[in-house]
Order: sequence, then C-alpha cells, then structure tokens
Amino acid sequence: MISFLVNNVDVQVDAPGDTPLLWILRDWLNLTGTKFGCGVAQCGACTVHVDGQARRSCVTPVASVAGSAVTTVEGLAATAGDGRELHPLQAAWIEVQAPQCGYCQSGQLMQAAALLGETPDPSDDDIRNGMAANLCRCMAYVRIQKAIKLAALAQNGGRK
Amino acid sequence: MSAVDVTRRWFLASLGSAAVATGFLPGGAQAGPLFGDVSSRGYSPTLWYEISGDGRILVHVTRAEMGQHIGTALARIVAEELEANWDHVEVVHVDTDPRWGVMITGGSWSVHKSFEELSRAGAAGRIALLEAGARMLGAPLKDCVARASEVRHGARAISYADIVSSGSVTRQFTEEDLKAIALKPASERRFLNRDAAARDVPSKVNGTAVYGIDRKVDGMVFARPVLPPTRYGNSIVSWDDGAARKLPGYLSTVVIDDPTGTCQGWLVAVAESWPVAAKAADLIAVSYRSDGGAASEDQMLAEGARLVENPSTGGIFFQEGDPLMRIAEAAALHEGVYRTHTVLHMHLEALNALAWQDGSTWHVHAGNQWQSVTLPLVAEALGIDQADLVFETSYLGGGFGRRLYCEYIVPAALAAKKMGRPVKLIFARSDDTKFDQPRSPTVQRLRSVTDGRGALLAYDHRCASGWPTRSIFPEFLAPSADGHGTVDVFAINGADHWYDTASQRIQAICSDVVHATMLPGYLRSVAPGYTTWAVETHIDELAHKLGRDPAEYRRALLGAKGRNGGAAPHAVGGANRLRAVMERVLEKAGWSAREALPPSKGMGLALGTGQERDMPTWIATVAQVAVDTHSGAVTVERLTSVVDAGTLAHPDGALAQVEGSMLWGLSLALFESTEYEKGLPRDLNLDTYTPLRMTDVPELDIEFLRNDHMPVGLGEPGVISIAPAIGNAIFAAIGARVRDLPIRPAAVRAAMGA
Repeated sequence: MISFLVNNVDVQVDAPGDTPLLWILRDWLNLTGTKFGCGVAQCGACTVHVDGQARRSCVTPVASVAGSAVTTVEGLAATAGDGRELHPLQAAWIEVQAPQCGYCQSGQLMQAAALLGETPDPSDDDIRNGMAANLCRCMAYVRIQKAIKLAALAQNGGRK
Repeated sequence: MSAVDVTRRWFLASLGSAAVATGFLPGGAQAGPLFGDVSSRGYSPTLWYEISGDGRILVHVTRAEMGQHIGTALARIVAEELEANWDHVEVVHVDTDPRWGVMITGGSWSVHKSFEELSRAGAAGRIALLEAGARMLGAPLKDCVARASEVRHGARAISYADIVSSGSVTRQFTEEDLKAIALKPASERRFLNRDAAARDVPSKVNGTAVYGIDRKVDGMVFARPVLPPTRYGNSIVSWDDGAARKLPGYLSTVVIDDPTGTCQGWLVAVAESWPVAAKAADLIAVSYRSDGGAASEDQMLAEGARLVENPSTGGIFFQEGDPLMRIAEAAALHEGVYRTHTVLHMHLEALNALAWQDGSTWHVHAGNQWQSVTLPLVAEALGIDQADLVFETSYLGGGFGRRLYCEYIVPAALAAKKMGRPVKLIFARSDDTKFDQPRSPTVQRLRSVTDGRGALLAYDHRCASGWPTRSIFPEFLAPSADGHGTVDVFAINGADHWYDTASQRIQAICSDVVHATMLPGYLRSVAPGYTTWAVETHIDELAHKLGRDPAEYRRALLGAKGRNGGAAPHAVGGANRLRAVMERVLEKAGWSAREALPPSKGMGLALGTGQERDMPTWIATVAQVAVDTHSGAVTVERLTSVVDAGTLAHPDGALAQVEGSMLWGLSLALFESTEYEKGLPRDLNLDTYTPLRMTDVPELDIEFLRNDHMPVGLGEPGVISIAPAIGNAIFAAIGARVRDLPIRPAAVRAAMGA
C-alpha cells in the first residue's frame, strides 16, 4: 500500500511502485481530468502538482509520491482557498474562452498555477518560457497566455 | 470547360451510396414524411431539436466536438430562427442512430452544410409555436411575435414552455413545407454574427469533460496493441508471451483475426491496468512474414517527381481550353516543382477505443469524426448487424482528420469479443504515430505562360500524392472531368484558384508507392494545405519574374471573370471578395511601407480560398519575417490575416479557429515534418516531432470582414495561406526562393546560393 494525499484526501493504493502516477489518478482514483498525451514528459497534458511543484505524472512512479500531497485539476479550485468554485486561472480560462478541444487544458492550468506560485506577476516572456513545455495541439496559445495574465491580475487584487 | 462536379451530382450520389452501404439514411430523405413530433416529452418540429414541456430546447448535434465549440455554433443557428431564449438552449451530442443520417465532422463543413436545414428547422418551430400561442392568447396570428421563447401579443405573452406543455402544438411539416419557409432577413437577426460563451468550455477547465479515453464500464480490462513492422502486408508466423506472463496483472494476448483485412498482423496485449498492458506489449516476441512493399520518404518523393513528368498519369480535376498547345508554342515558360514532406496529426489524446457487449448490442466509446464510415467496418469485423452496434459520443482530444477513419476501433472490438468482457484499447504515443494516417509527401509541377502584360494564357498544375479517399472511402472518388478514371478531390482541392486564366488544366495523380507504404489521411487543411503552397508560391514567382509588385499582380489577375465571378449562395461575389480581403490585409500589414524594413526582413503575401471552390472562405495573409543569412533560420515576426467567411454563427469561436489554424499553418511551414524509413515515420514522439510551442508564437493580427452571406468553413482555411506567405516573405527579404515544406534553414541557405 502506498499512501499519499490527493486533493487533500488521504488515499492508499495497492499498485506496483513503478506504476506512473498518471494511471493511478485516472484508473485507480477515477480522477480522469489528468490526461495521457505522450508518456515521455514532452507534452505536459499529465501535469499535476506534487507538494506544490508541477510534475509530469506520466513519468512519476507512484512510489515516489508516498507521503506527498498531490493536486490535480479537480482539486485546483480548492487551492485558491476562498471557497470559490473556480480557481482564478479557471475563471480567466472561461473569461477568454481559452480551450478548444480542451484535452491539454488541465495540464496547462496546473502548469500555469505553478508558474503563478513562483512568479505572481509574470511578464510575457515569463509566461512563454514557463509554458513552453506544455503543447497545445489546437494551438490556443494566444488565449492561454492572455488568461494567465488576467488571472495574475485578479490574484494580485487588480494591483499591477 | 470541364470540371469535377463536386457537390451537385457526384457528392450527393456518394452520400446516397453511403446511406445504402451503411444503413444510414440522410436526415429527411425518407419518402413523404411529416415532420413535427408531438409526444409527452415535448415538441420536435424536425429531428434536429426538441422543446420539452419545461421550455428547455435540446439541440441534437451529430457533429463531433473537437475544439470548434460546434454545438454552440449549431445551436445558435436553431435559436436564431426559433426566436429562442438562449438560456433555455442545451446542446446534446447524440450517439449513432440511423435517424441522424450521415454523421461526419470534417472538411470545415459543419456550419455550412447544416445552416439551411437547421435554420428551417428553427423557423418551423417558430411558426408552430406562434400559431399555437396565438390561439391560446386568443389573438390574431398576424399581430403576434415570437421572441425569447415567448409568443407575445402587445403586453401579453405566453412562454414556449406553457405552449408545449399544454399539448396545443400540433403543426406538422412536409419536406416541401420546410423548403418553402422564408428565413428571416439579416436585419432581424439576434444570434448570428453575435457572441455567446461556448457551452463546452466550463467542463474543459475543471476536468469533468469526458473524452474517449475517460469512459469506464464494469468489468473493463485494458489493452495496448502490438503492431506489425509496417501498415500493410504482414502476417504473424509465431508469437510468444512468455516474458509478459511473468507480469502481475497480465491477462492475455489476443491475435486480431480481422475479417475486414484492416488489421494485418496485429496482436493486442490485455491486462488489469494499462501500464501493465503497455509493458506486456513490449515483451511479446512476434515473428512476421512481410511483403516488404513499404517505401522510404525519398522513394515516395522520387516517385512523385516521376509521376508529375509522366503525361499518361492523372485524372482531370478541371480543364478549360488547351493549355498544352499554348505551352508547346510558348517562347517562354515558367515552371516550378513544389514539394511537401510527410506531416503527422499528433492529436494529443492518443488513439483509444472502449468496446463492450450488452445483451445483443455492442457499444463503442471513442472519439469519432465519421461514424458513418467506421460503424459498418466495425460491424463487419464483429460479424454483426449494424443495427446491433452503437457508437457513443464523447469529446475528441483533437481530431484534425485522424479520427475520420477510425480503424483503431476494430482491434478494440475484436479483443473485447475474444476476451468476453469490455476492453479499453489505448495506443502508446509511439503506436499512434507509427500507424498515423499522415499527410503523404506531395510533389507538384506548375507550368504557366503569360502574355506581355502578365495575363495568364496557359496554366498547368499536376499534383502527385496519396489519395486518402481511395483508401478510406472509394465511393467518394469523383469521375475524372474527361470521363477517364477518377479523382480524389480531397487530394487536389485548392488547386482550382480564382485567378483569371485563359486556359488551364489541373490534374491529380495517385501515387501507388505512397499507398504501399502508408494509409494516407486527411490532415487539417487537407489538399489546400499543399496545393495553395504551390499556387501562391508560383504566382509570386511570376510577379517577380514580370517585375510586378506581388500584390498589384494578384489584383490584376483577380478580375472575377467567368466562373470566378462566384455563385449564390455559397460564393456570392467570387474573386471580388478575395480581392477585398487582400486590399484590407495590405492596409493592415503596412504593405506599402515594406521597402523600409531593415535588410534581411521582408513581407510576403498569399491568398487562400479553402476548403473547396463550392465553399470558399476568403483569406489573405501577410507574413513579416526576419532571416538569419548565416544560418538560414527564419523568424516569423508577425502574421496578419483578413478573413471573409460570410455570416459567423459563433464569432468568438470563429476567431479562435483562425488563431489556432494560423499557428497550425506556421507550425507546418517551419516546425513539422518527418521522414518515412522502412515503412514507418522516423519521429515517433514529441521529443523529435516538434510542433510549435508558445515561445514560437508571433504577433497575430486577425480581422473578419463581416457580412450576412452564407456561412462557410473555418476549422481549416486559416492554415493554408500561412506557409506561402512565409515563403514569399523570405524571397522578399533575401531573394531566396524556397519550394519545399517545411522550410528548413538548410534549404534557405541552399536557395540563397541558387
């Protein structure tokens, strides 16, 4: 049994320790918001937070997160901590109508949340560099970038 | 003049034969039906939507949602004529049922091809509700109006909910009644050309949207395919799963014995979890007998070059006059050969399908763009009636044409049959890429003759490529315009440009070498993605050769003469609209000031009319590039596109499609390609296949010319003018002409020396 926190809930899973966290989330815990894209940490669709850091869950053995706190897109809103239904990033994503097919968007959101955690007021270059490892095959990049800026503004209470 | 008749005869006939072949009847094609279904649930003026007793308007959407927010766009069309309250409108993506007719999502067709039928359906509902509402209000019909899901008479109103729940709507419509309905004048529009939030977006930001890969059913097991060395010509001699059997959770290996011949030499590894199935697939040792018919990229390109020079090959897509005579007699001929390399879909949701049997009915859950072509295939593979097979609908994690022909459902279904339990088959990314249905390599030869003033006297375009339709749905092949042989219009669309030409011939040539190697597919922008590369590069070359400004030269050729004058309703205005978007983009991009750009920077212009002449989306693009003359590296600084797509059903969705498709065009121009080696793409994952990332995004400037004309396509047309605009900008910057896609630095350097 491997124990860890997922979206603030204690979980115990019975799986080989080298099983990628991605499949544990999706098929053991029914958290299918986290997506399988490339399997080799090149697309970012599987991005989750492990102890607050963005991680590619497709190459993260579940044993390595024992005792850690994992956050997925399903738990993102709760990390904003004010009881709202949407994280400021999710609200911004809707405001600018960022997703097209939507498949990469959970990963984009989790990467963006990690970016804003480290750089609360990112420049355009900060955003581009911070998001460069997340592929959007629909190429909705213009709106993703716009949404991150909008969310940063909202998070900073409109201060700039 | 002879041309392949795309929509009027061949196309409808093909849909008809599809209906026969698949058991699908096109909606409304039944003999003498009455539309208008009154049931306890509500009222359905036609099968495209239902108004329930509580006033909800459920719009039945048969088109796949793969990023276009298509449900929103189609529901806006219904709401417009129905005079609905938008808050009451819901989008329902339906599962396969013969009553929906042909189910296909491709060609950028969805809005265009649904527009009339959905508009009339909406109008029929409005008429029925107005009549019933007027009766209930005791008011003269002529004094009542429908608005926001109410029938109003002066200050009094009755809601659609109350009208429907009272059971007083009884109106039915014949096919002729529907056709006779006059649609609202544009001045009365309240939904079209006006924005609304897309209905699919919220579920796509909180993880609740359900894609093919997300479905789960009781008793389900997981599988990964074990693929043969190449697409075709393999059979299994022996296999051994001894090593896989040591894996805890490994269940079985299924040999895919496929009566349809779709899967040639496939096995499927089945396990309790996907990671175990994935590992097991790597451990299964298989020996194959292979016919060795697959070619390399270079061999496919060499064959293309040979084919375009061989006058006995090819079917005629369009011919007017006798260009060959003029070419033979010409003192000066301009000739160019343009090539594109293999490109891959790389939709982010790896191919997958879940199949299971429930009683006598088989179910499939998988993303799907063309249910009508895959459902019969899967039924045949399973040996069951099509009536006993249902494809459930989910969102698609990218379609881009790869989910039109869903042959990957066959091994999932056969594995589920063999295992006697539900099987979810998921391809590893490398599996998905190996058996992609790529855009094949293409070779095109263009020859043209001009008079002293630059007018096109003769124009000859021959294009050699794979023909996706030959592999996927041969009934869709059109007869050649001269009656000899066939043409895949989806391999040549876009070559029939809108420039005035005294004589021309356009031919499509199918490469058997491509077909022995890969299953060539439809890839976003399809043929115009490469034919327009050739046409717009060639026209630019002509302009420079003649010493003309490329914009001024195009202007002179866009005289809207003859068939270039367009046709109603789909192409009202013809080349005049193309000229209008060109004039606007020149203004926006600062074309007249381009000579002031620093050395090694330049602007290039290209026009696009994708996806087909019977549904032209008018686009003009100016690219501004900077070229590093030492390395040959090209940086695109700005892309400006002006688009006339007629009425926009969902303007913000339209803008999103153009934003994304312009970047697709840039990605295909500079960043994407692979090469076939021994029958497989060399690049199997995103470490070496490198679509554009956020750091590569240039400044985008997009404008729609707004009007009330017939809506046309928007999913793909934004792609097609980007690459030639960039190529033409490179020439403007440094005088180097590139004729191959993608444009690699080495090719730019080589062209500088040329």
